[in-house]
Amino acid sequence: MDILLAETTDAGLADLGKAIAFGVGVGLGAVGAGIGIGTIFGSMIQAVARQPELRGELTGIQWLGFALTEAVVFYALLGGLLAFVLV
Amino acid sequence: MALAADRDVALHASTLGASGGTFASVGAAVTILLGIWLMRFGLSLRPDRRQTTGEAIYELVQGQIAESSIPSKALHVWFPYVASLFLFIWVLNIIGFIPLPLSDEKFDVFGVSLPTWGIYAATANLSVTLALALITFFSTHVEGIRYNGAGRYFKSWIPEGAPGPLLALIVPLEVISQFMRLISLSVRLFANMLAGHMLILVMLGLIFIFSAWWLIPFSVLIGFGIYVFEVLIVVTIQAFVFALLSGIYIGSAIEPEH
Repeated sequence: MDILLAETTDAGLADLGKAIAFGVGVGLGAVGAGIGIGTIFGSMIQAVARQPELRGELTGIQWLGFALTEAVVFYALLGGLLAFVLV
Repeated sequence: MALAADRDVALHASTLGASGGTFASVGAAVTILLGIWLMRFGLSLRPDRRQTTGEAIYELVQGQIAESSIPSKALHVWFPYVASLFLFIWVLNIIGFIPLPLSDEKFDVFGVSLPTWGIYAATANLSVTLALALITFFSTHVEGIRYNGAGRYFKSWIPEGAPGPLLALIVPLEVISQFMRLISLSVRLFANMLAGHMLILVMLGLIFIFSAWWLIPFSVLIGFGIYVFEVLIVVTIQAFVFALLSGIYIGSAIEPEH
């Protein structure tokens, strides 16, 4: 507590705000991407369980969807980094 | 204190700049040429491991990327492009995970000064990925106009039968979405590679940020886990996705679905 009070200068507050923005931004981005990736692999398991012979064709689509979804968290990370490093 | 250290880690990952990207790109091109040249010799009907590897890469690019995205009438032109794109990005990504003495910094071990080893991927540099995405972007529109004519091509951006007032909304959106493709294509690869490198850096940096030596086994183990994940999965998938999306964009411009 003492440390926190000692740090509440303007520069300290700005750093605090940036850290919170970065953490919350990337965290929320990760939530969305996590749900999306879970859906993709869940659907893939169901699809292969129903029609195992389609596995080969579905794998390509699965990885495409995975990469497109996973990229979302990196957009959040990049935005957070821009706020953190440049502002 | 910790914040300043974080910022140093983040900045350090991007300070190698343009020269590093150029060297790595030339290195990747030479590697691919050498690899293809070595593949040419001693081909037979009963392939050895070298030939099997080459054929597997060729079949992956042909079956999974080119034929599923590019119409067959343009395959002879754009299959080589998509294949080069896949190989080039894959090699650049892999080079990025080989530790190399990149900087001038030295460290002392028992009086001997050794160069510091670091990992740096050219694809973790926005200029490199943006250049690659720009090639795809311009090829897309040039091919779209060449195969369909300018009028028919630009008309294909707009969904048919849209009422007049709605067009004022749709047209700007469609134009923006064409440029968003450019941004998403380049930033996806760039951010993926940068984030992979930074995760490893941050994991190791935690030891120094907290000055806690008991963190070493955990940090090194998690960092190594991320390294293996990146090398085995992310490197290939990102190259695959970049090439596949390039193919899809070019293919959909050549044969727009009205």
